[in-house]
Amino acid sequence: MRIPDEADFRSRLRSAAVTARVGLWLGICFGVCFLTGLVSHYAQNAAHPVPFPTSPAWGYRVTQGLHVVTGTAAVPLLLVKLWTVYPRLFRRPERGWRNLLLDVLERGSVLVLVASAVFMLASGLANSAQWYPWSFSFRTTHYAVAWIAIGSVVLHVAVKLPVVRGALGSDVDDAALDRPAATEPGVLTRRGLLRATWLAAGVAVVATAGIAVPPLRRVSVLGVRSGRGPQGVPVNKSAVAARVTASATRSDYRLVVANGDRQVALSRPDLLALPQSTRELPIACVEGWSAGGTWTGVRVRDLLDLVDVPAGTDVLVTSLQESGPFTTTVLHGNFADDDRTLLALALDGEPLSLDHGFPARVIAPDRPGVLQTKWVARIEVPA
Amino acid sequence: MIRSMRWATGAAGVALALYGGWLLVTREDRLGDVALWLVAGVVLHDAVLAAIVVVLGALAVRLAPAPARAPLAVGFVMLGPVTLLAVPVLGRFGARADNPTLLDRDYTAGWLVLAGITTVAVVGATLVRSRRGSGKG
Repeated sequence: MRIPDEADFRSRLRSAAVTARVGLWLGICFGVCFLTGLVSHYAQNAAHPVPFPTSPAWGYRVTQGLHVVTGTAAVPLLLVKLWTVYPRLFRRPERGWRNLLLDVLERGSVLVLVASAVFMLASGLANSAQWYPWSFSFRTTHYAVAWIAIGSVVLHVAVKLPVVRGALGSDVDDAALDRPAATEPGVLTRRGLLRATWLAAGVAVVATAGIAVPPLRRVSVLGVRSGRGPQGVPVNKSAVAARVTASATRSDYRLVVANGDRQVALSRPDLLALPQSTRELPIACVEGWSAGGTWTGVRVRDLLDLVDVPAGTDVLVTSLQESGPFTTTVLHGNFADDDRTLLALALDGEPLSLDHGFPARVIAPDRPGVLQTKWVARIEVPA
Repeated sequence: MIRSMRWATGAAGVALALYGGWLLVTREDRLGDVALWLVAGVVLHDAVLAAIVVVLGALAVRLAPAPARAPLAVGFVMLGPVTLLAVPVLGRFGARADNPTLLDRDYTAGWLVLAGITTVAVVGATLVRSRRGSGKG
C-alpha cells in the first residue's frame, strides 16, 4: 500500500470551513480546561502567596467538574478536527528555501500541538479512572504538558488567523478555502457533520458528567463512579489501600494538637465531648467526581485555640497513613480559621466509616479532596 | 496592526510552550516514558486510528445502500469517540478490590445501551430516507 497523497482526499467535508468551526469550540474547551487545571494545581500547592478562597464552598467542585467535562467534550471535537485536516499531513513539501523553512516550522508546531493535546486528553481520562499505565508523576507531567499544549494552541491560532477569520466570516459551504482536490460531496452536508460533532460532544458529556452533576448520575452510564458509597459518599482511597486499618482502630488512638511546647492529646470520646458543629460540604476530587455530605465534628479553630495557635497560622495535618504524597498536608490559615472547617467525626449522622477517615478527618469548604486528610493523627504548627 | 498582533500572539504561544518544556525537564525524572507517551499519541492517531477511519469510510461507501450512508456517518461520529473515551472504564484497569465505589457500574451494559440507541437511530433514519426515495442528506 502506498502512502496517500493530499489530492487523494476528495471529500468537500475535509475543509477549513469545518475545521475552523470545530476548532473554535475545541479552543474554548481547551481554554476552560487549562484555566480550571491551573486552579486545581494551585489549590494543591503547599505555598499560597495569594490565599486560595474558602468561599464559595462549592467552588472547587464546579471548577474541577468543568475541567473534566471540557476535557471529555474535547475528545470528539479533537478527533473530528483532525479528521478534517488529515489530508494536509500528506501535502508536498513547499518549494524555495524560505517557504520550505516556514512549512517545516508549521508542521513542527502542529506536531507538538497534536502530541500534547492527545497526551493531555489520554492521561486525564486514564487518571479519572485511576488507571496509571506509566512511570511518570501524573500531576507534574499533566501540569507541564498543559503549558506546552496551551502554548501550541495559541501559536496555532496566530499562524492560522487569516484562515480562521476567512472561514468564520463566510458561509460554511463557501468553497474559497477548500483544497483544490476537495470537490466531491461527502455523505453528509457540512452542516450535518457539524451537528453530528456537537451531538457527539454532548453525548460524551452526558455519558460521563454524572460524577460531578448528581442529576445526571442515572444517565451517565460511563461515569467512573455511580455516586454510591458508604454513608452515601464514594471513597477515593480505602483504609486498606492506605494501610491504616490497624492504626485507625486502636483503642489508644489520640489526636495530638501541638503548638511548639504546648500540646494536647485527645481520644475520640474527648473529641466527641467538645462542642460539635454540623455542616453540608462537598467532597470534590481531582479526578473530577464530587458528592455532597453532612459532616459533624469539632471546628478546627476550636482545636487550635486549645493550644493558643494565633489566627491566620498555617498548620500541618498528618495522617496515620505512613506513605503517599498527601500523608501530610498544609491547612492554610484562612481555611483553618473558617467556621466551616471541621475535624469531622461523623458523616450523615453516623460515626465516620473507616474508609471515610475514622476516627477523624479534615473537611473544609472549596478544597480538593486530596487535601481533606483522612485518619488524622496530628495537627501542628510547623517548627 | 493585525500583523504585529499575530506575531505577538505567536511569540506568546512559543513562550508558554517553552515554559511547559522547562517545567517538564526540571521537575520530572521519567522523561523517557513521557516522550514515549507523547510520540505514541501522534503515531496511534495518524498512522492507526485515522487509517482505520479512512478504510471504514471507503467500505461504507462501497457496501452500504445510499440512504444508509449519512445515518451511518452520524452514528459513527457519535459512537466512535465515546467508545475511545470509554476505554479506561470498559477495561476496568484501575479497579481495586478494596474500593467498591470506584468503577462501580456495568460499563459493558452502558456501552451496549449507547450502541443500541445509535443502531436504532441509524436504522430508523435509513428507513425514513429510503421511503422518501432520497439518497441525499
